[in-house]
Amino acid sequence: MTQEIHFVTGKGGVGKSFVAAALAFRQAKEGRRTLLVELGERSFYKDFFRLESIGYQPQPFQENLDLALWSGPESLREYAKHLIKVESLIKIFFENSVSRNLVEIAPALSELAILGKITSGIRKHGPPMPYEVIVVDAYATGHFLALLRAPLGMAEAVRFGPMGEQSRGIAEVLRNSQLTKVHVVTLPEEMPVKETEDLVRELVGDFHLGPSIVLNKMLDVPSEAPPSDAPVAFAEFVSTTRNRQNEMETRLRDLARPLSKVPLILSDDPMLAVRRAVEVLT
Amino acid sequence: MSKKVSVFVGPGGVGKTTLAAASALLAAEEGKKVLVLTIDPSKRLASTLGIEGKTDATKVPGFEGPGELWASIVDHQKTFDEFVQKAANRSPGAEKILKNHLYRQLTTTLSGSQDFSALEKLYSSYLEGDYDLIVLDTPPAQHALSFLEAPAKIAALFNEGIARWFRDPKGEEAGFFQKIVGAGTRQVLKILEGLTGSEFIRELADFFRSIEGWQDRLRERTSAVHQLLVSDHTDFSLVTSFDRAKLLESEAFAREIRRGGYRLKTVLINRAFPQWFDAQETGPSAGPYKDLYEGFQGFYQHREKTIQDFSLRLKGEVQVLQLPELTERVYDLEGLRKVARILKKGGWS
Repeated sequence: MTQEIHFVTGKGGVGKSFVAAALAFRQAKEGRRTLLVELGERSFYKDFFRLESIGYQPQPFQENLDLALWSGPESLREYAKHLIKVESLIKIFFENSVSRNLVEIAPALSELAILGKITSGIRKHGPPMPYEVIVVDAYATGHFLALLRAPLGMAEAVRFGPMGEQSRGIAEVLRNSQLTKVHVVTLPEEMPVKETEDLVRELVGDFHLGPSIVLNKMLDVPSEAPPSDAPVAFAEFVSTTRNRQNEMETRLRDLARPLSKVPLILSDDPMLAVRRAVEVLT
Repeated sequence: MSKKVSVFVGPGGVGKTTLAAASALLAAEEGKKVLVLTIDPSKRLASTLGIEGKTDATKVPGFEGPGELWASIVDHQKTFDEFVQKAANRSPGAEKILKNHLYRQLTTTLSGSQDFSALEKLYSSYLEGDYDLIVLDTPPAQHALSFLEAPAKIAALFNEGIARWFRDPKGEEAGFFQKIVGAGTRQVLKILEGLTGSEFIRELADFFRSIEGWQDRLRERTSAVHQLLVSDHTDFSLVTSFDRAKLLESEAFAREIRRGGYRLKTVLINRAFPQWFDAQETGPSAGPYKDLYEGFQGFYQHREKTIQDFSLRLKGEVQVLQLPELTERVYDLEGLRKVARILKKGGWS
């Protein structure tokens, strides 16, 4: 079975998690066995979808779609278990206060462990990952680039031993555009678009990954002029928004990337909003 | 006048940096000498503040009294390197550590190191500068306290315990595990070696041996920073944007900050409503613009209720302010003044 990894990133506050969910729903709807993963300690989807809990072990969520929350220390612990196989030793290590701090502070260990977990299915390393698609609700732009760089940096700093080997293996998967896809989410606004342009350049230049772009929260502007009884401030808002959206869309088209647009969805019902976004994503 | 510190925390993309700068501008307009420390500002904000490409505190160009407005970017690597050099008293040990592969790797990607350097920069500016107020913008955080805990965690990592692991100078050749005291530690190191390989352990040992001798300095510094942050001189503002999940997160955030002993003064809900929105007004009477208007109206009315519930739950604990969504972006000092006025109108003081 082939497995694809889809990373979803973008500037903070652009709706990464929402778009990641929509992409995962879309894959599941098309019949692929999909896992939607959040990174870190705190779950966004738990509040967003009003769920009881989300944990490290994938749990069924929708048809064909499972959910999980992967943190660095937990991923590392699983990796340790796979490598060392003696539970009592692992316990000693993770309960030692110094090594606990080391694990928490050094992404060298923690973030590599997360990347290791994400790529474990493809590298056939660790417990089975019975998914065709893994959608990762990844970090915001800067932190995401640091995450992608971590394995290569570590492989250079530590050439030998399991750390070096694992790092090289992970880096290889991340640079393979058949296996790894990146989606950059942006709003039709100056700052996120600028950040998208820079990020796309780095991803193409440094990682040979050609990301696709998702333009989120596009206001559906009526084609005709506003009626005379529309409040002035509102009419102005609509017209400024239209101009700004057009300008930003043109700039993103110049990047020559697959571009999808998700409309601004004025709803507090998360399921409804995600399902609407699924329809428009290509 | 006693020195004050104002810290802006919150997730990424909520307008934290801009609001921090705007609040600094307000204080300077009131006659204070203010420094705003920003992390990763947008190009436009950086050029507005006159700090593009600079690493030292700079007087904001075009700002004329009655107070003074200064700005600086926290240059992460530079702050960290400076700290190492200071702590090691410019001994050869400092050079060695700056060249250590692992140090490079750790300080460029270390999850808590940005937080550490922001607080280090804050503290050195507090000690060395003669500002009435220092406003600190912080790196985006998944939880509020991760930012505040980072220095303590880094200090814990550098403390006696771990240094003891690597104290034996000849260990590198002889297999240093043998000389280390304590079976527990030996086992922990063995496991770490199993996970990472001996080269990693060697780099690590090298790293910790190089920093030996200035852990005390680091610990003192960390505790001094903590004292400042929990003192009456410092207050915190939490910036959040609106959506139900974000507000829930902010509520947890707010409680976490207060439980940590810090003084949370304000929660700023940024972009709570658009500037054009007026609940009293009626929209177009027909056509697609009617639908659009009513869509927004329903959405913002519902939102208003969610925010009221949120404010009610935090009532008496902190001040909750709502700010409108700006349609314009900040291009220059005039733009920043505009945000400052909106902040003031929203109830900021």
